[in-house]
Amino acid sequence: MNRKKNFVWPLLVLPGVLFVTVFMLIPLFSLCLTSFFPDQTFSLSSYFSLFKDQYFQQTFVRSIRLSLLSTFMCALLGFPSAYYISKYSRHKGMMMAFAVFPMFTSPVVRSFSWMVILGKRGIVNNFLVWSGLFAKPQDLLYNEFSMTVGFVQLFLPQMILALIGVMDNIPDDLTLAAGNLGATRIGSFIHVIFPLSISGLVTGSVLVFTGCMTAYTTPQLLGGTDTRVLATMVYQYAMSLRDWTQASVVAVVMIVCTMAISSIFNSMSRKINPMA
Amino acid sequence: MALLELKNITAGYDQNIILKDFNISVEKGEFVSLLGSSGCGKTTCLRLIAGFADPMNGQILFNGKDYTGVPLHKRNFGFVFQSYALFPHLTVFDNVAFGLKMRKMDKETIRREVLDMLKVVDLEGFENRYPREMSGGQRQRVALARALVIKPDLLMFDEPLSNLDAKLRVKMRVEIRKLQQKLGFTAIYVTHDQEECFAISDKVAIMNKGVIEQMDTPSEIYNKPKTEFIARFVGFENFFDLTRTGSCAFKAANGAEIVTGSDHASHSCKGCIRPGDVSVHAAGADVVNAIEGRVMVSTFLGQHNQLNVMTDIGEFVVSTDQTQVFPVGETVTLSLAANKIILID
Repeated sequence: MNRKKNFVWPLLVLPGVLFVTVFMLIPLFSLCLTSFFPDQTFSLSSYFSLFKDQYFQQTFVRSIRLSLLSTFMCALLGFPSAYYISKYSRHKGMMMAFAVFPMFTSPVVRSFSWMVILGKRGIVNNFLVWSGLFAKPQDLLYNEFSMTVGFVQLFLPQMILALIGVMDNIPDDLTLAAGNLGATRIGSFIHVIFPLSISGLVTGSVLVFTGCMTAYTTPQLLGGTDTRVLATMVYQYAMSLRDWTQASVVAVVMIVCTMAISSIFNSMSRKINPMA
Repeated sequence: MALLELKNITAGYDQNIILKDFNISVEKGEFVSLLGSSGCGKTTCLRLIAGFADPMNGQILFNGKDYTGVPLHKRNFGFVFQSYALFPHLTVFDNVAFGLKMRKMDKETIRREVLDMLKVVDLEGFENRYPREMSGGQRQRVALARALVIKPDLLMFDEPLSNLDAKLRVKMRVEIRKLQQKLGFTAIYVTHDQEECFAISDKVAIMNKGVIEQMDTPSEIYNKPKTEFIARFVGFENFFDLTRTGSCAFKAANGAEIVTGSDHASHSCKGCIRPGDVSVHAAGADVVNAIEGRVMVSTFLGQHNQLNVMTDIGEFVVSTDQTQVFPVGETVTLSLAANKIILID
């Protein structure tokens, strides 16, 4: 078949492009417009005043810190699991189903279950008191700890899936070769598996980081009044204060941050594996 | 004492036994090839020696020490993979240096050894390339350098040339042999290519269904195959039953007298001969070891013609000179060269 002269194939992409343009790109553009033209004239004043606001500064730093921490935790927990599932598991399909299973329940339900688990009379506190580690139940809910736990549980499957996808493509001969050349299992993981999985780690990290930055339910339900993040802030501005300009300014800041950090992930990966 | 010895090895997975009671021994400095069709167990054998898999039963002895449970990274064996298995994220230099780094050698020594080895395999100046920027033959040499630089006690090759084109294959096998003679390493080489294996090895072990049928020097195997399988493998196409009547004297199934160059111990045996060692004469010719037959098929093969001749003792494949023309259906007399007849059980 001569694909070069065929004008029909490119049309296949059209519905998707139209959808994204109408419902994503145009709204995004108008969002930016709103933030740069607060009073019908171009001005960066909304941005200046926002960044001067101490409350915003705290929220901004907290958002990024929590997202980075959750991303790091997901990588830390996801890497060994993905490695095991991809290279050693005999029941790969089942293991993957288990890994993905949490994605079948809604974030709301999952947040509520964390409330039960981490509450004053939850099993974690019961255990801490029973074991004698603490005399009385601890505050495990409505703080950054519970938010991080929620984020990690929410996004770990995406990290694992992204990693398995890449690890499956690493030929077993490479680990055998590393072992044959004197590398221990840990050595071949560090020198071969890890650098070759970097592209998956980046994909997973971008997914997790973006997810954490934009998640609304989890921080709303598991966070407290003094642990607001950017996503809840946007909601606050838009719905409670009806300040659409300020809401769009925060939204633009979120988008820019997410993109910036994603590209930092990418360039870090290129340092470790220049061929990825 | 042999350098490497496999004793009564049984290997496989689940119900699928690939090697059963397998034995082989390799002397220091030898170049031994395992030759056989796919699925005969030759690669499994190599992987057991390398430690990539464990045998279900039996022992692997190296220098008299039991290596059966030794993890792969503690065996100082080199391995050249069919896929080369070069690390795609590392440069040629770092690929070759990998084994030395794992041995925690200092940077200066590593640098010197790697550059020396790249010189040996004729890849000077390629240190900073990545594997994907190189041709198949070059990658092959990187793989070789990477395996050699650790000064392995034993070097294994798993069909290392099968991904190269025919010309390069011949060139590389000569280079591998040259290197082996220069550096004196002990090598085990797995291949399914008979010519390659005969060209490169001191000894060839021909494998069939998980056992070694014969292990000998290439010329010994070529000239004195011990079983019908080996004989067929090295180009014998004509097989016939014989009954011994005296020293080097036999009778074929149709009663024809057959004299041979060598003798055989048992009363009944099998004779075999290559197509090129049978000459074709006009019917009734007075020749040694004469067998009458009728030409069934005549095939033009360039340098010579191939005739399929039906005789009382079976169909014979013979090659004749281009000038000799025997029409299909004609009766001819075949003469089997006495000293070219090989006797097998």
